[in-house]
Formats: sequence, C-alpha cells, structure tokens
Amino acid sequence: MVTLTIDGTEIEVPASTTILQAAQGIGTEVPHYCYHPGLSSPAMCRLCLVEVEGGPKLLPSCTTEVAAGQVVHTQSESALGMRRGVLEFYLANHPLDCPICDQSGECDLQDYVFEGGREHGRSREAKRVFGRDDFGGDVLFHGDRCVMCTRCVRFMTEVEQKPLLTVVDRGNRSVIDTFFEEGLQQAEWAGNVVDICPVGALVSKDFLHKARAWDLEHTESICPNCSQGCNVDLHTRDNLVHRMKPRTNPEVNGYWICDYGRSRYEWLNRGERLDAPVVRIEGRNDAMGWTTALTTLQERLQERASGRVRALVSPFWSNEDLSAVIRLVDALGGGEVLYRSPRAEEEVPLAGVAGLARRRDLAPNVRGAELLGCTRVGDDEGRGGLEALTDHEGVVLVLGDTLDEEDEGFAPNAELVIYIGAYGSTALSTADFQLPITTFAEQEGTFTNHAGRVQRFWPALAGPGAARPAWLVIGALSGALEEQEGPSGAGEAFQVVTEMVEAYRGLTYDAIGSQGASSEAPVPVAGD
Amino acid sequence: MGYPYSHEKEVPILSKHFGDPQARTLKGWKSRGGYEALEKALAMSPEEVVEVVKASGLRGRGGAGFPTGLKWSFMPKDRSRPHYLLCNADESEPGTFKDRELLRWVPHLLIEGCLIGAYAMGAEHVYIYCRGEFFEANQVLAKAVDDAYEAGIAGEDVLGSGHKIEITVHAGAGAYICGEETGLMNSLEGRRGEPRIKPPFPAAVGAFGMPTTINNVETLCAIPPIVANGGEWYRQWGTEKSPGTKLFCVSGHVRRPGNYELPLGFPLKDLIYDVCGGIVEDRALKAVIPGGSSVPLLSAEEVEDCTLDYEGVVEAGSMLGCASVIVMDETTDIVHQVMRMAAFYAHESCGQCTPCREGTAWVTTILKRIEDGRGTEEDLDVLVQLTDQMTGTTICVLSDSVAAPVQSSIQKFREEYLALIRRGERVGVA
Amino acid sequence: MSEAPFKNPGWAGNVGEYDLTEEQVRGLDFVGIPPLEGTHPASVAAYPYMLEEKDPEAHLFEGPYETRFEKILTRYPTRQAALLPVLNLAQEVRGHVSPETMDRVAELLELSAAYVRGVATFYTMYNKRPVGRHLVQVCTNISCNLCGAEEVLEAFLEHAGAEIGETTADGAFTVIEAECLAGCGFPTCVQINSRYYENVTVEEVPRILEHLETSRGSALEDGIDGARPTAERGES
Repeated sequence: MVTLTIDGTEIEVPASTTILQAAQGIGTEVPHYCYHPGLSSPAMCRLCLVEVEGGPKLLPSCTTEVAAGQVVHTQSESALGMRRGVLEFYLANHPLDCPICDQSGECDLQDYVFEGGREHGRSREAKRVFGRDDFGGDVLFHGDRCVMCTRCVRFMTEVEQKPLLTVVDRGNRSVIDTFFEEGLQQAEWAGNVVDICPVGALVSKDFLHKARAWDLEHTESICPNCSQGCNVDLHTRDNLVHRMKPRTNPEVNGYWICDYGRSRYEWLNRGERLDAPVVRIEGRNDAMGWTTALTTLQERLQERASGRVRALVSPFWSNEDLSAVIRLVDALGGGEVLYRSPRAEEEVPLAGVAGLARRRDLAPNVRGAELLGCTRVGDDEGRGGLEALTDHEGVVLVLGDTLDEEDEGFAPNAELVIYIGAYGSTALSTADFQLPITTFAEQEGTFTNHAGRVQRFWPALAGPGAARPAWLVIGALSGALEEQEGPSGAGEAFQVVTEMVEAYRGLTYDAIGSQGASSEAPVPVAGD
Repeated sequence: MGYPYSHEKEVPILSKHFGDPQARTLKGWKSRGGYEALEKALAMSPEEVVEVVKASGLRGRGGAGFPTGLKWSFMPKDRSRPHYLLCNADESEPGTFKDRELLRWVPHLLIEGCLIGAYAMGAEHVYIYCRGEFFEANQVLAKAVDDAYEAGIAGEDVLGSGHKIEITVHAGAGAYICGEETGLMNSLEGRRGEPRIKPPFPAAVGAFGMPTTINNVETLCAIPPIVANGGEWYRQWGTEKSPGTKLFCVSGHVRRPGNYELPLGFPLKDLIYDVCGGIVEDRALKAVIPGGSSVPLLSAEEVEDCTLDYEGVVEAGSMLGCASVIVMDETTDIVHQVMRMAAFYAHESCGQCTPCREGTAWVTTILKRIEDGRGTEEDLDVLVQLTDQMTGTTICVLSDSVAAPVQSSIQKFREEYLALIRRGERVGVA
Repeated sequence: MSEAPFKNPGWAGNVGEYDLTEEQVRGLDFVGIPPLEGTHPASVAAYPYMLEEKDPEAHLFEGPYETRFEKILTRYPTRQAALLPVLNLAQEVRGHVSPETMDRVAELLELSAAYVRGVATFYTMYNKRPVGRHLVQVCTNISCNLCGAEEVLEAFLEHAGAEIGETTADGAFTVIEAECLAGCGFPTCVQINSRYYENVTVEEVPRILEHLETSRGSALEDGIDGARPTAERGES
C-alpha cells in the first residue's frame, strides 16, 4: 500500500493504482477523454495532466502510478492553466453545435469547458470541416465534434476484437473512419462506441434528436433481451423508454451491452395494453374493477370441478410474478407450468470480456423459470408447444405470453381460461378473465440470469390504467383462496420465491442490491 | 573529409572516407582498417565495451545529446528476452543531411558500429530504420549488408565469435515523426508511427515489447573509432562535457554548404566565415539556426560568441540539437521561413495529442495570415501563448519544436512581424 | 568522368571539390541491378519501388515478388511488422495503394482492412491515387526555401503544365511539394521517383523534364534504372 496526498487529502491505495484512480477514490474526478477503465491507456488526450510536486513537468494522471509520499495537485494554478490551454485547442475546430447535438447535457467537452475553459475563443481562422459519416448499423459519426480520444478505435480493437475503426491520415487531417464503405456491419457490439464517446461525435441513429439528455430519467434495470442479464439503465421521458444504456457490473457485463439487446426496448412502449380487468360474461367482455374481478374469479375457481390446472408463463416476467402463478397453481391442486422462449442459433460473445455474450435464450428469466420448476416447450421461435393447453378441459392459465400464432378462442374446451397479461392477445380475447399486469419495466422485481445470478430491477415506467404487478394481484388471489394476505411488497414477494427455490436461500433484496448476487444454482454446462 | 567541400580545420574521423567510392566495398573498407574495431570488441566482454563508450563521453548525435554509454547500460543484463538495437536512419529534421552521407559513403562503418553495439548490449537483431525517401542510400547500405552477410561478418556467427547478430535494413514510408524513438518503434512494428508515452522506457519495453536501444546513425558510426582507439582518445577533441567531433550540416546562404566534421566547441562564427567561405556575395548575416528547425533562432549578435557544443549553444540562447546550421542573411524573410517551418510541423504532426494536432495547424494559419498582411499585434501575443500551451503538454516534443522558431523569431525579429502587420511590408525576399 | 545530360544533378563532379562520376557518387556501380526477387532477406525490406510498368490489376504477389514477400516475412517476429515493407512492395507492383490493394495486403498479413488503411494513410510515400510516370517532389522546406525552392517549384508546375498535386493529362508528371529530403547542402533538392536531383535551379527545370520523358522506353525507367551506367542508357 502507498500513502500519498492529493489536493491536501492524505490517502492510502494499492501500489499499482494510478493517480487518476486514486483521485476518483476521494471523489475528485480529473478531467479526461482517452482513459476508460475498460480500455488501454494511451495518455494522449493530455487533459488529465496534474502537478506532482518535485517534478519538472505535469504528469498524465491516468498512467502515472502513485508513489510513496507523492504530493499531487489537480487544481493548482499550473494544472488549471494547462487544462485551460488544452481545452482551447479542443475547441479550435469544434463546430459548437450544441443546440443540435444529442450529447448536449451529457457532454464531457461542455462540462470541462464550463468548469475550466476560456470564456471566449481566440481563433480567427476558418474551421476544418469533416461533416457527417454514417458508419452503418446504429452509429453516426460527426468528424467535426471528434476529440480524437480513440476510445472507439480501441474498443473495436481490444474489446470487440474486430478492428473495424481506425484513424485515417495524420495531424489535423486525422479523422476516425472505417475501411471505406465497409462500415461497422460485421460488428455486434458497436453500439458501445456511442456510449464511450465523450462528445457527440458518435451518436445513435435510433436516438437522433429524440430527447434531451437532461429531460431523461435513469432507472436501474436489467436488459430483457437475453439471459446474460446485462445491467442497464432505462432512460425515460413522458412515460416512454427512449434508450437503454449499459450500467457497470464487473460480474456480468463490465461496461458494455450488445447491439441486439440495446435496440430492443420499443416493445416496452407498445401501445396495445390491457388496462382494466375484463370478465367475459355470456360472450361479452366486461371491464370492471379489481375487487369485483378478483372476487368473481375466486368464486369461479372455488366452484369449479376439480380439473387440473395447466399454466403457461413467460420468461419475460420476474421471479416474483412467476412464483405467484406457481403458488396459485399449487393452491388449485397442482398442475404443469410451461414456458416458451425464443432462442438464437448461436451466442454472440464479446471477445475481450470473459463471460460476456449475447446468450442463445432471448429472454431475461429463463433460468429463473427453470429454477422454479417450469418446463420448456415450443420451438426456437418461441412458438408451438401448446398441445397440453389447447384441448385441456380444466383450468388454463396464461401469464404474459400473448399466443401470437393462435386464433381467437384459445382452449375452447377449458373450464376456465385466465389470461394474466400486459398486452392484448387475439387468442385470449375470449378468455374468461383478462387481468392487466405490468411489464418488468413498470414494477420492481428480479430476474435470474443464465449463470444463476439474481438481479434486481426497478420501475422505470408507470403501467397503464389498472395494470398491477402480477405478484400483487395473483398473490392476493392465492391469499384469498387460502384465507391469508398476499405479499404487499416486492421484497415480500421475493421472500416467497426464496422459499420455493433452494438455491436462493438466504438472499434478500438488500443482499442483492443493485449489482445482483450469485445464487447456489449450478452454472449450466453449455451456453444456453 | 567534408562533403562536398573539405577544410583544413576538420578532424575527419567519421568522414575520413567521404568522397571515396572504394570505401563502400567490403574489400575497400577492410583495406582502410575496417572491422578491426569489431574484432577488438568481440575479444572484450560486453560490459567492457560499454565502459569504453562511457569513457569516451560520446553523446547521442540525433539531437537529444544523451550520453550513449549510459543509454547502453540501461539494457537489462538478463538476456532471456530478445534485445533489439535500432539504428535511427530516419533523417528528416530540416537542415540535416549528415546521415545520408554516412549511409552512402561508409555503410560498413555503420554496420560495424551496429554490430559492436549489438554485441555490447546483447542484442541479436539490429534493425536499421532508413527513411523511405533515401532510395539510393538505402540501396548502398543494403548491398553493404549483403556483403557483410556473405563474408560472415553479420549473421549466425559474427566473425567466427559464436555470437549471432542479424541486421535488417528496413525502409520507412515518409513520416518525420518516425524519427522520434518511440514513433520509430511503432512504425517498425507495422503501426502508425505515433510516439508512445515514457515511462515505460525502450530499454524496459521497446520494440515488440522487448528491451530496445535506439541510436542515431552518426552515434553508431562513432563507435568503431572509439573502440579501436579507446575512450580517452575521443576526448582529445571537443569540450569536457561535449567531447569528440561532430558532423555539422551547414546550409542556407553560405558559399560552401555541406557537411564538415569539426571538434565540438568550434566557434560558430568561424564555421560560417572561415570553413564555409562566408555568406554569398558577402551579405550581412541576419540569423542562424544552429541545430535544425526545432531549436530557437540566434540573432547575428548571438552568433558572435557562440561555440558549437551542447552547453555553448545553450549559453548563446539556443540548442545544438543535431548540429544542422542554417545560415540566413539579410535577404531572408524571417516571417515566411518561420511560417514554412510551422507548416512543416503541422504536416508532420502525428495527431495524437490535441495541443500539437490543433496547435501546429492553428499557428501556421496565423502566420500565413500575418504574411498576407492580415495580421494584428494581438496575433503575436496569441502565438506566444499558444506555443507556450503546446510546450511540455504532449507525449513527444514535436509540439515543443514549434515553439522554438516562433517564440525566438517574435522575440528577436519582432520588427519584421510588425512591418507586415502595420504596413504590409515584407522584409527580405525569401 | 561521364557527361551528365544536364548540369548539377548534385554529384561532386559539378559541385564541390571531388572529381567523381555520377555512378561513384550515387553508388550505382557498387549496387548494380539487384534481381527482382531480392538478394539476402536482410536487405529485401530496403528496396525502392522499381518502376516497371505499373499494373494496378496485377496479382499480389507472383513470381519474384512472391519470393521477396516471403523473404520480408522472415525478418520480423510478427506479420504485422512486415506491413510497411509489404505495402512498399505492393506499391511497386501496382503503382499506388488503392483500397483493393489495402484489402489484399490485409488478407495476406492477417490484419483488418481498416487497420491497413489507418497505417497506409499515415505515411506520405504511399500514393493513395495513381501518379504520373514521374513523381516530382520539390523540397520547399527552410534550407532549400532560402535558396529559391519556391521558384523551382513554380518552374516545375509551369513547364510540366501541372496543377500542384495533380497529374498532367498525358500522365507524365505529378508535381508535389515535399518536406526536407535531407539534401540541404545541395539546394534545391528535388526527388523524382527514386532519384534525387540536387542543386536544381530554375534554368534547369525544362531540361530535366525533357530528359525524364525522352529517357523512357528502356525497361526500367528511373531510380534503379540509374543503376545502369549512363552510357548504357543510350543518352547522348
């Protein structure tokens, strides 16, 4: 361990820590562009230079390791003067098009210049112009805004390990480009260069001019598009998700998410939602309030002939929701609980990060469903496998799955068809009961990823109308059938889950926190 | 001797065979005493060779003037990882043309120096990184290397000593920044020739991640005479801190431009007026750049007492650099020449560091504007401040090199700038 | 002493004190004409681009060029390190480094095409577009600039009928400005293809251009062609 002083504060850090990292430890963020914890450090942006007493020159804090007794000043006159000087060069050819630049509000150039740059530019010269360049995929490049930090080039080379980006030419003619028109077509993780670009040079075409950064709310969540369970932030405004950004988790996804996952959030904003409980009476669908609906359902369940229950759940719903359905099935005398999930032919690994890949199972809670005892049916499209339900004569219960390939009047012979779902379903429009629930983005809960890690997410959106979390309404129903209270909070609902899955014993919401927690679940042998 | 002119005051050690076409051939070189120093070195221990070089006080002749023996001693003694010796023949500093003469007249002197150096440092492979534009000189060197291989001088078993030292002549492709030692290493590795941060230093992590030493052509050419005659012998010329001789490249408005080998500490005034025959048409001297375009200009007054050693030039107000003396007489348009130098740096900047990438171009544009008569006096302050902001803030010193001519010319020839700014008048013609 | 076709190509026979022939100064007689497949691998990466008729469609690399390519690979611990010499070789065969050439070189060296583009565009000597038969590079840096380099450049542009950086309509000349060529003692220094023309003055420019075009027709035009003694080139 090494003791040094930064800005008057004495700290102790491990020997190979850099000054920049040590400063971060005491809450001092030294301005920087080219440094990124997930990439190599070329020390070329020259913004992180700090004063180290006794040295002849300012030193780059991102690569200079701490030394015993070092006295570092990040805010001294020479450090601030240098920073102001370097920032002046960054602005010399910058278009200053903040009004039309998506990065505005989350831009490191704006922030650093505001904090430590000159008030007025001194350049009287014409600016060099590169213009816009579509790199293919979701990535749009504006050469004029680029600060040449080469994070994007190094990401593609070191992390995705497909060197599709390069610096072309040299000196002030240098610009980032691909191999002519080849673009980033072959890349599967290229969206990350938009995240790591400190300025608005690399922007997302999907997000282009959609919303201002400062209008967006960030909510911690989990990507729902495969079973890797990458940690993300959902960025929302006006109750719509506008984009998904990776959230750092060294155990799961590092700093990254894949393009496949990143681009699939629109379904959370889809309009065709169930927003009120619907009961089918004499061939007519009647909307009603929850109390009436649930009381009616409870009576119908208690009155029924004791046929078995066959349930189909969806791995897009949380452990809490799934466990509530399973408990209900048990309370009704037991029965099979099935699930379907789309599944890709191959994984899409990120070569430079061990253990990170877009998994074959294209849903977030497949492992969670498996651990709760659900059985997989259907094909790799997430279709078929419904034989057990279509001719069933007992109770048919569907959670989440909209049975897209089926026609109206699903399970005509069933005594009771209950649809607990978020989205309208043609097949289930004739169900006896349609109970509106929230998607994962509208509630608190957990998913279990392919490796058995339990991870929490928080509500980013407000569900429509009377939609409620499935664990709440089904839990209330089960409770009524058993004459007790259902869980009143998600944490309580999770406790129910831990009682049902041995591998989760001892886990609590607090223990899981925002970075997740491994369970005792054995890791699957092959990629799922 | 000097090329294409010689002078009696010269001390021809490296340049002894300039202008002697027989010195290129292996037979010719051997009959002139060639490869005797290599034999002598192979009979010593590597450490002893390093000591001889240290004793000579030889300083790097590429511009930095770092003590060569000391640099060699940085190489790790643990030889388990391949060590490399790189010869920097990427001569691109404006005003410098000595390495080309060494390559085309005495390639075997360089080869011998490389082999001795490689032996002393435990390097098994020497890469001679030659500037791509040097087609003819590279061909001469290449043929000499072929001859050395054929004669068993380079390769598996150097002069029967049991040591293996490979030499590869590697041509560059046109980039001044590849003359910077870490830029050279990156270029050798097949990358863009962008300099690396130091630390780590080449002796620890160099070419291909292995311990590496980079030496200039002239430095390596000085090694055989030093090893043959001993360190103390070299010290009979030059000064205490700058011993030995130096190839001075004189260009510009002198009667006899060319390379001259003179002892360090030689008076600059004598070099111009005596050795080079004075200024063309006996015009008045205006300014001298003593060490290639990266060092400050000296005014005519400062030239008076300036001695050409590392310390002497610093005392006079500039730096010796690679000892490329550019002489400018009264017809010189200082602003134009400074602009041309700034344009050179802007063209050659690798573009990694923002102060250099943006600053070199910005400074050039301002100078062009001043030259066009559209400058203001604030521009002069801005130029000084910008070049200050470009000094000490970058990975390599190309950025700092712009500051030297710009700041020294504004300081010492301000009236030329003001003439353009205030009256649109150009002083001088070129 | 052999007669030069024009004065002051920079050998000491015309400048300085030495009494030498052009071959002796340039080392042409020493070097001879190296074979296309190169000699020892140690020197293969130093070869200039030989000016055979360039064929932008030529296969990379066949025959003697394949031999040279293999020899180059043996000198470096990684394939990537062979990139600069291989690009040089490719330019020798095809005349310039086009996107197709970059792609093919990338394939041969197991690098990405984007990476090769990044490296090729960093260095000035890789022509990104086809150039004329004679690439005239006039140094206008300080030492030559002090001695009239800009007038020499203007003279070349005028007499060749070229715009700076552009190739003349007949494909003969491309004239560009160059940075210091390390011939500062012989102002103005001009590099044409692989040969240095030193001490060039404005007066000599027309004769140089004429000489370049009239000495065509021999198998190797210039550069290495200079390896042949002047008399053999059939010049008067």
